[in-house]
Amino acid sequence: MARAMALRIAVAGKGGAGKSMIAGTLARALARRGHSVLALGTDAMPGLTHSLGAPQSLEPALADAVEPDGRRWRLKKGIGPVRAVQRYATTAPDGVRLLDCGTPAGRGADPVYASISAFLQVIHRLEDAHTFRDWTLVGDLAAGPEPAAVNSAPYADTWLVVVEPTWKSVLTARRIARITRSRAGKSTLLVMNKASDSGLRAAEQMLGERVFAAIPADGAIIEADRAGVAPIDHSPSSPAVHAIERLVEALERASIDRMVKS
Amino acid sequence: MKIIVAGKGGVGKTTISGTIARSLARSGHSVLALDADNNPMLGISLGVGPERTDELGTLRQALESGEVAHQPSTAGAIETFGTDAPDGVRLVVLSRIDRADPG
Repeated sequence: MARAMALRIAVAGKGGAGKSMIAGTLARALARRGHSVLALGTDAMPGLTHSLGAPQSLEPALADAVEPDGRRWRLKKGIGPVRAVQRYATTAPDGVRLLDCGTPAGRGADPVYASISAFLQVIHRLEDAHTFRDWTLVGDLAAGPEPAAVNSAPYADTWLVVVEPTWKSVLTARRIARITRSRAGKSTLLVMNKASDSGLRAAEQMLGERVFAAIPADGAIIEADRAGVAPIDHSPSSPAVHAIERLVEALERASIDRMVKS
Repeated sequence: MKIIVAGKGGVGKTTISGTIARSLARSGHSVLALDADNNPMLGISLGVGPERTDELGTLRQALESGEVAHQPSTAGAIETFGTDAPDGVRLVVLSRIDRADPG
């Protein structure tokens, strides 16, 4: 298979919109099309681990990658993006690597802060890491507009804003899109999740624009979540998973278009 | 009574908070609804309407513009920077993230 072109994607949106489900399924589907995929769990909730079908880690993964430096944390000598992924990333099916900022484990906050600090330092160096130049990056962000405002995905050239057909979700998506579109050189695409035909029309009216892709409301996604299995493993031929596979193709086309134009 | 509502995104924190606030007001309580989410949407669940909710002034803006300095008390700040929702609920929004952080 020809080497797939590297994509740089961040997935944002309101809480509960389906960011982790879409990011995880997207990452797996990209890997199946030949991408080398690094998934980045930027949310201190374990959603991405589940939607990727990655092994659960009980410890905040990156806590060992840093040492105290005054009141801050500093990456240990010799640890950059490459070594961080080698040592601290887990491997999900289809060869997806997952680097996770860590989830509070109930043993005090320090390991989590250390892990999150290490994670942020690593992702800010990802762009300059030659090893990852040909890798596709998929970031699952924390809920709401804050990750966009502070740019928690400096590696991303494409922001997928997940929106469902409710006002709370639409206003959140509009806030996020306003912020990401205020930065030059980034593409912001709205993705409707849990869409019915009437919901899609209503949401596009509330948004004031067309969405890039729509993923249908699908009971299979809820069943997969209840079973604790990745949607792409639990229901590979469900309408929602198929829609995400089509989204992958649309993102590849959009990426080629951008390259031709520039 | 003082009630805090917490939970994972999308489970219904805001809907439950807003409906509790309206119900309490209807049964005679004076209710102050505090939206402490930096993506504040409580106005929608209280019945203020989506477009107005999107534009409500926040306590943080008031502090940054120096307006709050003229308010001698918490009650004064609530009076000046709050919004009336139906059933007499008073809504105060703490902050809203709606632009890129320059730092």
